Formats: sequence, structure tokens, C-alpha cells
Amino acid sequence: MTFQTQAGFSEETDLKKTKHGKDLNRFLFRLGTMVLCVLAVAVTGFLLSPYAPNSPDFLNRLSPPSQAHWLGTDQLGRDVATRLLYGGIWSIGLAFLITFAGAVMGTMIGLVAGHFGRVTDVALMRVTDSFFAFPELVAAVTIAGVLGPNTANMVFALILVGWMKFARLVRSLGIDLVHRDFVVQARLNGLPSTLILWRHILPNIGPSLLVLWTNAWSRSILSISGLSFLGFGVQPPNAEWGAMLLDGKAYMQTAPYLMIFPGLAILSCVLAINLAGDRLRDLLGSNAVGTEK
Amino acid sequence: MLTSSPRVAPFLFALFRRLLSLFCVLLGVSLITFAMTYFAPGDKAAAIAHARYPDVQAFPPEILEGIREEFSLNEPFFVQFFQWLFRFFQGEFGNSFASNTPVWDIFVGNVTETLSLTATALLIGLLAAFALSSVAVWRPGSLFDRTAVALASIGAAMPNYWLGLLLILLFAAHLNWLPAYGSGSPEHLVLPAITLAFWITASQTRLLRAFFLEAKSAPFVETLRLRGVSESEIFWRHILRHAAIPALTMIGLDIASLLEGTVIVELTFARGGIGSLLAGSVLSRDYPMILFLVMFSALVYVFINSLIELVQDALDPRISFLKPPKHDRSTEARS
Repeated sequence: MTFQTQAGFSEETDLKKTKHGKDLNRFLFRLGTMVLCVLAVAVTGFLLSPYAPNSPDFLNRLSPPSQAHWLGTDQLGRDVATRLLYGGIWSIGLAFLITFAGAVMGTMIGLVAGHFGRVTDVALMRVTDSFFAFPELVAAVTIAGVLGPNTANMVFALILVGWMKFARLVRSLGIDLVHRDFVVQARLNGLPSTLILWRHILPNIGPSLLVLWTNAWSRSILSISGLSFLGFGVQPPNAEWGAMLLDGKAYMQTAPYLMIFPGLAILSCVLAINLAGDRLRDLLGSNAVGTEK
Repeated sequence: MLTSSPRVAPFLFALFRRLLSLFCVLLGVSLITFAMTYFAPGDKAAAIAHARYPDVQAFPPEILEGIREEFSLNEPFFVQFFQWLFRFFQGEFGNSFASNTPVWDIFVGNVTETLSLTATALLIGLLAAFALSSVAVWRPGSLFDRTAVALASIGAAMPNYWLGLLLILLFAAHLNWLPAYGSGSPEHLVLPAITLAFWITASQTRLLRAFFLEAKSAPFVETLRLRGVSESEIFWRHILRHAAIPALTMIGLDIASLLEGTVIVELTFARGGIGSLLAGSVLSRDYPMILFLVMFSALVYVFINSLIELVQDALDPRISFLKPPKHDRSTEARS
């Protein structure tokens, strides 16, 4: 095991020449094609949908799925299919933004802790541990709720409770890497720290970071929808999937499709990201350190 | 190893180090909790005044100033923080703004509901996960195995608020078997517990399956097999014990998620309990209640994870207090 991980570190390992590299390329190609297809469908939907996500139509309230409204209309007569499309931007886009900010913040803290070591390291890691002790949603509900429930405060709250995993991963990988021969050699050759960081440390941490990030992304979609469902996130009339579920909850008996489709959207989206992340982890596994920890 | 302290007994040294870091984390946790409410917008004196005299609309500034004096809201951040901290660890949690009754009494009134929900869910979830994963690894790659893996993947991606709604729709609205909302009777517990348990089953099945598979291909299992030990004995006596250690860690992490889950499930099913209490007090800005509940959930997490470290210590002789922390190990391997 140690031999394998060490081999993965040597700079000469050219991903594309190995069997794993071929599998990886094929996977990335398929993933790209699939994402493009989904995007194409979504864009077509945006362009062709005759409805606006937030404009009410009181003549067609709560109408079941039909040819005019493929997924029916909600209590204000808004087209559910159109709202689902716009809701995807909220859910997926916000989650992307939040996890990206969390990853950047966590990486910087992890690098600082790993680089300076000693007191800085201990202090930063205790801070990380302290943030870790709060169940994510409990802290997010509290922060977002106390600041006032709206989208900006939810984003702030979720960034604040989501960076710790990245910090821990980057720190432990960074500390492992610093003692590798090629980094030691680079230092002996007089390379400045920033160059070592960009050329040696970050590229080697990258794959593990990517795997963790896909995981965080899908979790974040669940958190955003959950907070919006509880009323602490995206506020009506905006069409976030969780907020749509909250709307549909009241009409569960008469119009069950109002809560079935947003839920399906969340489930399939999170499932897709999870599966892609799992596959990515398996494919990068031999080259990524720390993922097995 | 710990060469810096040849005279001190290494065990005590390591124990001290653990306790010190635990202390730091507890201090950090309290600081973050307090900061959450300290930096909240809005006048806290007005909130207290409104809680005291609910009928009065506007308050003269003298009264607000008096309240600020009384609750020392004019003091600097750290003075207020340590005042609160000392009171907290002496067991004085203060009165709830909303009902003007002690926070502790409200908490005790709600905690049993949450405990019964989480305990039931944990029990169902773990039993189901154990059954699923142990049958699944019996023949890896079989139809049952693949179904279990697929179910686990879907379960991990399932938003539990949606699952709760679907269960209500099916069992309460259509079949009329179980009550949908509220709490009190055992029937009220079934749907929320299943909702929470589903998620535990999903995450634990996946992990247990991986641990079992790893243990199954371990060299010591091969040896046992060659010695003629029966498969069932290998599973029950060796693999199970081997997989218990990593599984325990994951269950510890799950406890935190369980606390998250109760917030959502309790609100979805309109149950009483810690989760819905927290959401309610956040919306009404009931700061003493918020401080206590957030602190409580973080302390539960820290406590359970420390406990699990101890249990791991007892289960696995290879893990011990004496083991140097991670970053020392890499240097040690090199030298």
C-alpha cells in the first residue's frame, strides 16, 4: 500500500499512459457528454417554455399534469416544469458556489496550518475541530435564522459550516507531501515556496480535493433544499426545489404532483453527483492520496 | 516517539495532551456559539423587554438601559462571553425569553421526544444495515448484493424531508394506517423513526459492506479458512469483530447527522423535541434557549466522539493513547 501511494507521487507518472488514465479519460468523456446533454435539454427548456417561473395564472390553479403544463401548475397557477428548471439554477448553482468558497477557504487554512506547523498548526486545527463539533444543519439553521432567513444569510451560514473537511484533508496531505523526496529536492534546488506550492503540492492534492468537493457539492444541495424547506433559506416566490416542496406540502392530498416532482429532482441530481463522485474516486484512487483515510 | 519527555510517564503525557486539546475544542465551541448570538442584528435589550412585558409596544430608553445594565449588555464581548460561560458550566442557563420559564425545564420537557425518536431510528437503522450488509457480502456481486448497494446509493441521496412527505402521503393520507402529524403515542413515532432510520441504513449498509469485504479478504481470514474454520464461525467470531472498529467510528460521525436529521424530521412531522424547539427559538430570537441548544448539540458530539475513541482503544490494542499524532508518523517513517 505504501509502495503504491508513493509511486503515485512520482512526477514522471503520466496519467494518460496508464490503464487507469485511459479509464479516466473515457469516464470524463462520457461524463462530459452526459452533462452537455442535460445542459442542452435545460437550455431548450428555458428557451421554449412559454411560462415565467414567478408569474401567477389564477385561471389554472392546481391543474394536474396536462399537455399545456407537463408537470401541472401550483396553487398560484405557476407552471411546475418551468419552476423546476429555474429551481435547478438555485439549488445546483448555490451549492456549487458554497462548496467552491468552502473549498478555497479550507484549502488556504489547511495549507497555512501545514506550512507553518507548530503553534499555528495546533491553533488552526483546534479551531477546525471546534467548528466540526456543530452538526451542520443545527449551526446553519441558527446562523441563518438569527441573521434573518434569506438566501444571502443561508449561503453565508453554509460556507461557515462547510470548510472544515477541506482544511483537514489539505493539511494532512500537505504534511505528507512536504516530506516526499521530490518536494525536498525542489526545496534543496532553491525553488521558492510559492512555486513548490503551485507546481508540486497543489497538483498532488488536486484529485483528492476534487473527490471531496463532489461529495460536499451533493450534500450542499441537500442542505440548501432542506433549509429552504424549513423556511430558513431561499424565500418564496423564488423557485428553489426545497421551497417548492414546502409550497406543495399544503396541497399534498389534492395535488401530490406538487411535492413529487421537486423531490425527484433533488434525488436524481444528488444521486447523479454522488455516483460521478464515487466513480471519480475509484478512478483517481491509485493516484490520489488520503482518499482511503 | 515522544522523545521530548523521557521522565514523564508517556501515558500521562499523552492523556494530558488529549485533555488539553479537548479543553481547547470546548472553549472554541463555546466561543463560536456565543458569537452566533452576540453578532446577531437587532437590539437584545428590546427583545428581553418584549419578553417581559408582552403587552407594551414601545419602551422608554431608561427601561432599556436598565435591562442592558442588568444583563451587562454594555460590557465588551469577552466579558460577556466569560460571564455567560461561567454561568453555563455552573448550570445556570437562564430563562427563556419567550415563556420566561427556565431553559432547563423546557429542555427536559422536550428531550424525551427527541431521545425516543433517535434511539428508535438508530436501532432500526443499524439492525437493518447489519442484516442487509451481512447478507450482501455472503455472495458479493449477486443480485441481492447489487440491490443492496443500489438501495444504499439512493438512500444516501434521498432528502429525508421528502421521504417523510412521501411516507405521510402513502401511509397517512391514502392508506390511513398511521397518524401523520403530532406526537404522543407509539403510532406517532413510526413514520418519523422510519424516515430517520432509512438514512442511517443507507449510509451504514454501504460502509459495513465495505468493511466486511475488506475483512473477508484479509490474510488472517485466509489462514483461518485454510485451517478449516467454518465460514459462519469466521464471520461471527472474526470478521464481525474486525469490522466493528471502523464501523464504530462511522456511527460516531452519524450521531451528529442524526441531530441534524431530528431538526428536519421533527419539523416535517410537526413533532415536539429539540429540533423543533431550536427552530422555534431561532425564529423568535430566544437567545438563552438558542445558546443552550446549540451548545448542547455540540457538547453531545464532542462527548460521543471522545467516548468512541476510548471504546476503540479498548477494542483494538493497536490503537492507543501512546500513538503519536499523524504528522509525527510520517517523519518517523522517514528517519
